Amino acid sequence: MFHWLEKNPFFFAVGVFVVIAFAGLIEILPNFAEASRPVAGLKPYTVLQLAGKEVYKKDNCIACHSQLIRPFKSETDRYGQYSLSGEYAYDRPFLWGSKRTGPDLHRVGNYRTTDWHENHMWDPTSVVPQSIMPAYKHMFKNIADIDTAYAEAVTVKAVFKTPYDAPNGTPLGTVDEARAAALEEAKAITADMKNQDVKDAVAAGKIPEIVALIAYLNRLK
Amino acid sequence: MELKELQGYATFFMTIFLVLMLYGYIMHLYRSEKKGEKDYEKYGKMALDDEIDSTPIETNPNSPKKTKEQNK
Amino acid sequence: MQSNAALEYDYSVAKLFTLTTILFGIIGMTVGTLIAAQLAFPQLNYLIGEYGTFSRLRPLHTDVVVYGFLLSGIWSTFYYVAQRVLKVSMAESKFLMFIGKFHFYLYFVGALIAVVTLLLGITQSKEYAEFEWPIDIVIVLIWVLWGISVFGIIGIRREKSLYISLWYYIACFLGVAMLYLFNNMALPTYFVSGGIGSIFHSVSMYSGTNDALVQWWFGHNAVGFVFTVGVIAQIYYFLPKESGQAVYSYKLSLLSFWGLMFVYLWAGSHHLIWSTVPDWMQTMGSVFSVVLILPSWGSAINMLLTMKGEWNQLTDNPIIKLMVLASTFYMLSTIEGPIQSIKSVNAIAHFTDWIPGHVHDGVLGWVGFMTMAALFHMAPRIFKREIYSRKLIDIQFWIQTTGIVLYFTSMWVAGITQGMMWRAVDEYGNLMYSFIDTVAILHPYYVIRTVAGLLYLTGFFIFAFNMIKTMTASAKLTEEPQHRTPMAA
Repeated sequence: MFHWLEKNPFFFAVGVFVVIAFAGLIEILPNFAEASRPVAGLKPYTVLQLAGKEVYKKDNCIACHSQLIRPFKSETDRYGQYSLSGEYAYDRPFLWGSKRTGPDLHRVGNYRTTDWHENHMWDPTSVVPQSIMPAYKHMFKNIADIDTAYAEAVTVKAVFKTPYDAPNGTPLGTVDEARAAALEEAKAITADMKNQDVKDAVAAGKIPEIVALIAYLNRLK
Repeated sequence: MELKELQGYATFFMTIFLVLMLYGYIMHLYRSEKKGEKDYEKYGKMALDDEIDSTPIETNPNSPKKTKEQNK
Repeated sequence: MQSNAALEYDYSVAKLFTLTTILFGIIGMTVGTLIAAQLAFPQLNYLIGEYGTFSRLRPLHTDVVVYGFLLSGIWSTFYYVAQRVLKVSMAESKFLMFIGKFHFYLYFVGALIAVVTLLLGITQSKEYAEFEWPIDIVIVLIWVLWGISVFGIIGIRREKSLYISLWYYIACFLGVAMLYLFNNMALPTYFVSGGIGSIFHSVSMYSGTNDALVQWWFGHNAVGFVFTVGVIAQIYYFLPKESGQAVYSYKLSLLSFWGLMFVYLWAGSHHLIWSTVPDWMQTMGSVFSVVLILPSWGSAINMLLTMKGEWNQLTDNPIIKLMVLASTFYMLSTIEGPIQSIKSVNAIAHFTDWIPGHVHDGVLGWVGFMTMAALFHMAPRIFKREIYSRKLIDIQFWIQTTGIVLYFTSMWVAGITQGMMWRAVDEYGNLMYSFIDTVAILHPYYVIRTVAGLLYLTGFFIFAFNMIKTMTASAKLTEEPQHRTPMAA
């Protein structure tokens, strides 16, 4: 009964495939619909926040920071309420990370301010003297890619029905409206910042990466 | 939920089926060797005796032109 | 088609992949040592501006080592082993020869582009699946070409039965193909939005918890099907061939194969214990990880027993020494993984340095040693020269072994220390340490790890030197060696 399996490369390959595909099907499919349901009141990211998420990805913050608070007292004491599946419904990709060289950031918006992030990204040791995190000064110069973030929002709205432009939700509008809205949001953030180059850039209609990143980090609550 | 229940049963029986297959395979390996139908250990020699002109353990009937005779 | 001249195995593709194994090994391990040093000495983050921070370089390290060094190693051995165990030469088929070379060149160019995009920060930020969609397409093409090679050469074989190594190569091909495709399902935003923004950007088809599940189903098993399956394929050929001893039990090797195939894919969710994925999946991942010890140790014990009665070769032949140590580290690594998957252990171990510690006793000990042993075994057959220096292999062996031991012991201590400090409470139930306390205390271990990395890297440079000398300056061989690899003292 097993001879044909060992001799015929085609049947062999099919056999291997069935055995390995089985686990994937069982583990992933059953939960698919349920796990993508958002918690009540969850709003999609604004375009500026999405651009900030891109900065977070570009500089690969997940290499050292998690966004997953586990249900232990020591973690909820340190970081706040443990994470719920529905809170990640609009996270594409998920950014849980796998290593905490630095602390968890899932609710960092609750206890860190714009001002703190600005100092920290410019020079981490200025706020945490023993920090081993590198400074990210280039974020103060590089300009965030608002158009790509808008394109992402349009894509998830069209394909995954992410509720942009819903009543009381996150507005999206046309690309020009989105650019203007992002700039307004950026101006509100730079009001709390002190770096003159960043302020000048925003006044001139350009949004440095640091502003988008702070918008994203402040949103993590 | 309907679908979930179905998936639950499918998992359960498929796992049992695959486990039975695996045990069946073990029995098959040892039994066919005991009965003398098959000698699995000879396949281990494929790694040792692997010159291009060494004789295959089991020749593939569809193999390309037999250049081996010429090489002898 | 062939004249009466003796037909020979054609190693030209194996030769090319041997070179990239060495090249990517050097790059990947150098970057790895650098980022290890950055954790101990943060000033090293600013060597090349924004492109040199730990966070940018970390994916470069993992991807170059996995997809550069290791895949090159798997392919160079594949293009060597497949011909031999099927007793058919690639020279017999112009088509396969072309596919093989095309496979190599596309891979090489693709790898270089991938390195550049990672430095630029063009990434999906999914571990080991960082590449954006245009590179994914190239990767799929490369994989298809390898598939054509695998099944093409099987199609013209003289030996009817497929040797166990080939089973593993086929499984590596199929497993990674399936996992990679599913995990990288993403929509390019440029096209959906009608031409707005960057053309490289894409958005994942899955969100949140689902994305995490797919990612770690991929992440765990891509590691499994490359680091484990692809490397077992090598040891099942090279250890018997080098020692002249057939596999201890061929039946056991078949059983372990099916056992591994069935169990491995279930274990992925052990990366998500205590996360928001459903409990039953976490438990399943935990249980199957423990079950996974059986097929893993089945292979490893089979390898060690192959040396039965021939243990003297361990002292005579440094290549055997490398391979035996590799299977020993495989055993260590495959018992450590299941331990970390137990829920209560995972609560301490997850997110700490114990995890990179675990990965590295597997990759440095098992994967690295086996790949280098395979290259040492092939070199005299491919280049028709003896190994340049036996003494250098010995020196390399001891330097690297010391490096590995320093690496995993320091990371064990670092990981458990940090895990315990995160949860430590005083008599009133308040947290005892702020986060930064738990970072500052790790400094000595990070220094030890840097030293460990430097040692392993030094060993790898010795290996590279030895290989290059073997290719160019060593004494020529007139006849292909049967078993034991000839080497100059």
